[in-house]
Amino acid sequence: MVAEFAAIETRDLTKIYPGFWKSQQVQALTNLNLRVRQGEIFGLLGPNGSGKTTAIKLLLGLINATSGEALVMGQQAGDQDTRRRLGYLPEESYLYRFLNARQTMDFYARLFNMNRSQRRQAVDYYLDFVGLDPAVRGRRIGTYSKGQTRRVALAQALLNNPDLVIMDEPTSGLDPVGMLEIKNMILRLKAAGKTVLLSSHQLADVEDVCDRLVILYRGRVELEGALNDLLEVKDVFQLEARRVSPELQAKLVEMTKAGGAEDIQTGRPRVRLEDLFKRLVDAKRRGEPMAVSTRR
Amino acid sequence: MNHHPGFDYIALCAYALIGILVVAFVLLAFRDVGRLRTGIFRSWAIGRTTIAEAWNARIWAIVPIWFLICLIISLLVRPYSAASQVEIYLTILLRAQLVMLLVYLGILACVSLPRERERRTLITTGSKPISRLELLLGKVIGICAAGLAMLVLMTAITWGFMAVINMHIEHDAAVLYAHEKRSYNSLVRRIPPEPGIRYTAQHGVLQAQNYYTGTLRIAGLINYQTNPPERALKGGSSETLYFDFPSLPAQFVSPPVFLFRFVVLRMNTGAKPNTPAQQAAMLQPVKIHVTAVLRDNPMMTAQQSLTLNPSGTVEWRPKQWTNFFSLYEPATGQLYDPGPVLLKVTCPTLGAYLFFGDGTQAQPAACLALNLDRSRVPAGMMIPKPDPVITGFKSNNKQEIVGPSYSHPGIPAEVASFEFAHLPDRRIPIGKHGNFTVHLFLSVDKQENEALPAIADITAFTLADPTHPIRMQLRFAEKHLTVLKLPKSLLDQSPLVINIQSNYPGHWIKLTQNSVQIVRPPSPFIVNLAKSEFIIFCEMVLLVVIGVTASTRLGWPVAMLTTMVCYVLGNLFHFVYKLMILGGFGLYGPYIDSKMKGLWYYQIGSFITAVMVKMLYALVRLMPDFTRFDPLHDIVISRNLPWIVPTVDAGWTLACALPILALGYLLLRKQELA
Repeated sequence: MVAEFAAIETRDLTKIYPGFWKSQQVQALTNLNLRVRQGEIFGLLGPNGSGKTTAIKLLLGLINATSGEALVMGQQAGDQDTRRRLGYLPEESYLYRFLNARQTMDFYARLFNMNRSQRRQAVDYYLDFVGLDPAVRGRRIGTYSKGQTRRVALAQALLNNPDLVIMDEPTSGLDPVGMLEIKNMILRLKAAGKTVLLSSHQLADVEDVCDRLVILYRGRVELEGALNDLLEVKDVFQLEARRVSPELQAKLVEMTKAGGAEDIQTGRPRVRLEDLFKRLVDAKRRGEPMAVSTRR
Repeated sequence: MNHHPGFDYIALCAYALIGILVVAFVLLAFRDVGRLRTGIFRSWAIGRTTIAEAWNARIWAIVPIWFLICLIISLLVRPYSAASQVEIYLTILLRAQLVMLLVYLGILACVSLPRERERRTLITTGSKPISRLELLLGKVIGICAAGLAMLVLMTAITWGFMAVINMHIEHDAAVLYAHEKRSYNSLVRRIPPEPGIRYTAQHGVLQAQNYYTGTLRIAGLINYQTNPPERALKGGSSETLYFDFPSLPAQFVSPPVFLFRFVVLRMNTGAKPNTPAQQAAMLQPVKIHVTAVLRDNPMMTAQQSLTLNPSGTVEWRPKQWTNFFSLYEPATGQLYDPGPVLLKVTCPTLGAYLFFGDGTQAQPAACLALNLDRSRVPAGMMIPKPDPVITGFKSNNKQEIVGPSYSHPGIPAEVASFEFAHLPDRRIPIGKHGNFTVHLFLSVDKQENEALPAIADITAFTLADPTHPIRMQLRFAEKHLTVLKLPKSLLDQSPLVINIQSNYPGHWIKLTQNSVQIVRPPSPFIVNLAKSEFIIFCEMVLLVVIGVTASTRLGWPVAMLTTMVCYVLGNLFHFVYKLMILGGFGLYGPYIDSKMKGLWYYQIGSFITAVMVKMLYALVRLMPDFTRFDPLHDIVISRNLPWIVPTVDAGWTLACALPILALGYLLLRKQELA
């Protein structure tokens, strides 16, 4: 049996931020053991201060671990060769405000030693990929809306066609349509065989895209596993069907009761507000009136 | 005679050790550069962004602000003459460039990295495959490139501004020359027009003349009232008295220690005690500061501050020579002849005048090498005696030679002797009449005979044939260039000597080391201006490297303070060196009563001060010496700068910048970016 290749692996990774006095020290991460398989979307969840961003910074080599080890793509985290195969979207879009989108992308492309034609091609491709309006690409980033800035930040994370993409709050600052687009993009990345490490407070986002996840609390792993295993309610059965007449509904309830089932609830499912909003905006963009429908 | 090898092994070893340590430090710091595949491409990417940042911070505003300031100052300053006009404008323009660029780029260097940290752009950049060294280099390259762009703009403006000034000067000179010529032709004026003015009208004052300069020595007498004559050394001035020993007869010295005795014929510690400083000076013992240099090995020096005893003598035993310089072989008890020795004497005591004999007449010699065992000296053997020479009377870097005396007509006037050794004649242009050109920059202080014209007696000869000199009387224009034509026969392989004397009593001719210049083909002013600007650029690079290094670990305010302290200390090298030589409360020599020196608190204070000054000196030695290359001096005086100066400066800057960069990399290597 071939061993499953881990895109990220941490062993007892610990980070203590030093203070002047011992009492001022902050234990941000304690013995983190993580294994992210190649090709999966892995969620990193937790409340504020749980150590998600610290873990990501450790994986990028931006900060030094107090103890433990972190391997990214089989190499030491922070290694220059590792970072060639890695894309990072920070939680805020930390970009140079005095550069425009093209200059920003060109700058980061230069850091990957791309030549002129490669740079031109990659810059246009990824700015199109993230859907940044071509009309604003020559404007300074300082004048962008938060959503536009976020798209540029995402584009720079994908610039080198990375094998592993680390995203910290990827949908922050985006409108629902943008959020949905990002989620679709993440799924497309997965389809292309990329590994995605996703850290987010938007639990719905994580639920929609992640294969597995880990929940951190105060620097420790509290819960870990595949999303379906974690979210499945084992003792409840659900049936969905179209064209169910009121008589058939009553008959089904009766049958269920007769079978000994408890806490029977019936009703119509609801579409998600996100889907409704997306449908509306899509229709408006096409110049068509949207028929309000409850069909999923 | 056993000659010392003339090689200072210990000093050489010390320098070699320091060099090895520095190189080892640099190699150690950069040990992983090869593995990281550090490339200039990524550094340049960071550099480009830093340039954009500087542009966004309106670095371009420096240029108009600088020009505006220069214009205002230029309008306020009224130059005395055409030559000084160019000097003043160049000084203003270049000095303002230096100050503004250093201040702005120093701030930018200290702020750039901390600001990236504060704005967290370093997180995004740090997640890319870039090494810390590339980051550091990128910052330095970017800031230096931004500074260079501004410098190029400023250079172009400076050149344009000076070209306009030069056009005005040329025009004015042409008008003046035409007027003088008309007056002379119509017999209204008896003196022919100045050739220097014609030269200015034809060539302007901006072209950079390349020239050879000679070694200046002033010979002759100063005090005619005494017999035999004396030379005076003024205390507290930069006047220097030189004693040149052709050799020291080590085999006759017993015990094996060199000893020098300095003899002063008369001392005058201040003529009129009008001020408290002069009163204090009269009470003070007179100090002399002595530096000995081995001519075979100028690295071997010994120096000491000595206090003259009331009879005007003092003895000096240069301890370093037996310890540090290894002139003494303890195993054999053998003392080596160090070869030619030059003793330089200055007097730091304000208000004191020391009168020395010239050592050639019946009076006691001014400086003697003692400890000679006369019984061992063979009969008839002459022990060499030095010939004291003062290069003195310095005022604004100028030296004066006095004309003949009414009262002592038989005594020759002072002579300024310029010696040009090893003239490669193929680089000296020869005119169609077979002459080469010498430029003279002389001025005159007429204390008597004001109505008489300024005339210099010129004597030129080669050392191979001193008996056939060329003599002439040359009328020179004050503050103007005087052109002298000499036959090319003087340019043979032996050294050329040009002597200058004042022709009239009471006329003091003022000259500098560069007053006599043998002209080489001129080079464009813009090239020499660019060389000066390059020296400014080197200074800028050094400051930027210090600033960026300081900002790797420190916040921008502390980094800025650190950079400023480094720059100030780097400019104080010579000042602190002098403090250390004087040592302790000796600094305040003229103002401290000699009785105080016996008091315990004076001695403790003196000790503490001396220790602090030495610590300061050690600190200053660690800083790059920012005064080593002056971007202004040559271009302002002569519009010329030899190629060797920017070349050496580039090497020096690199040698200083590399260890500082290595330190910066070491500091940044394990630094957390987020």
